[in-house]
Amino acid sequence: MSPTLRVSDPGIRWTVSDPRELALRIRLRAVQMVAPQGFGYLGQALSSAEQVAAAFATARPGVDRLVCSPAHYIIGPFAAAAELGLLDVSGYGQNGSGFEAIGTERSPVVDYTCGSLGQGLSAALGFALADRFRGSDARIFTMVSDGELEEGQVWEAALFAAHHRLDALVVLLDANNSQVDGPVDTITTIEPIAAKWSAFGWHAVDVDGHDVDAVCAALASAAAERGRPSVLVCRTSTRHGLDCLPPEADGHFIKLTPDLAQAAISELTAKLEALRA
Amino acid sequence: MREPPYATELKPYGRALVDLARQRGDVLCLSGDLTRQTEVDLFQAEFPDRFIHGGMAEANMMGMAGALARCGYLPFVHTFGVFATRRPFDQIANAIAYPNLPVRIIGFMPGVSTPGGPSHQAIDDVALMRALPNMTVVDVADAVETRQVVAAIADVPGPVYVRLKRGEIPVIFDDDHVLRLGQACVVSAGSDVALFASGMMLAAALSAARALGGHGVSVCVINVPTIKPLDSAAVLAAAGSVRLAVTAENHSVIGGLGSAVAETMAEAGLGCPLRRIGLRDTFAEGSLDATYLFGKYGLSTSALIETIWSALGQPGPAPAAPHAATVAGSGEYSPV
Repeated sequence: MSPTLRVSDPGIRWTVSDPRELALRIRLRAVQMVAPQGFGYLGQALSSAEQVAAAFATARPGVDRLVCSPAHYIIGPFAAAAELGLLDVSGYGQNGSGFEAIGTERSPVVDYTCGSLGQGLSAALGFALADRFRGSDARIFTMVSDGELEEGQVWEAALFAAHHRLDALVVLLDANNSQVDGPVDTITTIEPIAAKWSAFGWHAVDVDGHDVDAVCAALASAAAERGRPSVLVCRTSTRHGLDCLPPEADGHFIKLTPDLAQAAISELTAKLEALRA
Repeated sequence: MREPPYATELKPYGRALVDLARQRGDVLCLSGDLTRQTEVDLFQAEFPDRFIHGGMAEANMMGMAGALARCGYLPFVHTFGVFATRRPFDQIANAIAYPNLPVRIIGFMPGVSTPGGPSHQAIDDVALMRALPNMTVVDVADAVETRQVVAAIADVPGPVYVRLKRGEIPVIFDDDHVLRLGQACVVSAGSDVALFASGMMLAAALSAARALGGHGVSVCVINVPTIKPLDSAAVLAAAGSVRLAVTAENHSVIGGLGSAVAETMAEAGLGCPLRRIGLRDTFAEGSLDATYLFGKYGLSTSALIETIWSALGQPGPAPAAPHAATVAGSGEYSPV
């Protein structure tokens, strides 16, 4: 359980028996990670839980890579790694912890993350080029958020990836329609998202991002794509799977009072028990 | 040390990079749509499989270079200095400097050496790169140092920014000159003034020292190819025993060599007066050629002589510059 562990480290092992259960456990773990601070990036975990679970269910341990472009989403990979017995994430977000809430260079689990948004896809391209030079067939699972599409660098990277036919790349694009100033569609029109990526030469599909079987199936289809990179536009919500959240909860940065945290833990624990039964 | 007028060389950097790539399979070459202009057409011709067209997308290019370095490669990234530093500053900070990766960023056409106008002039690249933790910053003076800089930076564990003159590169040093990364060296002894020069300003500094020497002012010229980490010991040794310290850089006086020397002197408590030659907090407009800009913005041999003459309170008019054309060098090129 090294703090520098990454999913691509040789020798690492995990198994995901049920991605649906893992998604639920990611939500529960994320609530537990955020609760001590009383606020945090819980909405990102709620919207991306199925994408993270599907990535861990699909990726080959010790071979494939995981890039988390928006470092605010690092809570999801941390929670998954904790639930898979890879990591002890206690102290997440606390002073002196190596698990900063916005991921840093010392964040474990992922191969790359960056709190300055829109940069992760370029790193993923660098990994893909390096793997191509070395003859590795590693896939690069790259988490990108819809708000990041406002950054020009994402489109520089999209052009480059298609031109170089980097089919080892698959982007899990979390289309949760949430950014700091409000819903993405009230700030900038980024739709039609899939059509844009298609026009750039990518294999692009729209997926219900909370249907973990659909996300897993789309990842499998992407693996069969030859000669072009893939993007899964995962339609999601920052509130999904946690009914006790009040209507006014800000999906980008959720406040979690002790009472609300307890209610959330009770709700998710009950759901987990129901799923297992 | 050779005497002016200096002979010039073409593509000393491009040839040196090919030499390194022949020895080391980990060397990769990235270019931002300026392949011939940054001399790496030579690399592309010999190692097409290790050459990557980044296109006009500097942010993406820096991000990719960082990830390639994480995977054990040694990426050399090429574009003009202005596009290498201003446009992708955040990407360099986050994807290269913070993780302390061995990416080599090679920025051509420093300062006002281009007639391309303010959009093409790297007048703050040293300041920007110097401010980044982990970054080494190099500004070499001539073709002899340029030939050596590629091997000199190859094994630096972290990132390096090198600014290089484009086109015809003067040969100032003798062939047995050795570039030592992190070291400044006295290239001309003197006792009244310590004149610190970097990059393209070395020729003017030597010329000014020669002219002043003929009029009773003894100038010690120190070549400072590594701006960061600065050779503080050499700076203090040179500035500690003179009446005046002067810096000369083809860059803004804010944040570059002049600032680095000032910080070092002030922190050591050195009371010696300091003059900084460089762009005085201005963009540089209106030119057909670099020599004009060097003159207009106070980077000429004459400007050096006059600054030193006046700072020392010498009587009468300052001596004339012997070689007005040595600063920018001969040979011009069209802006891109």
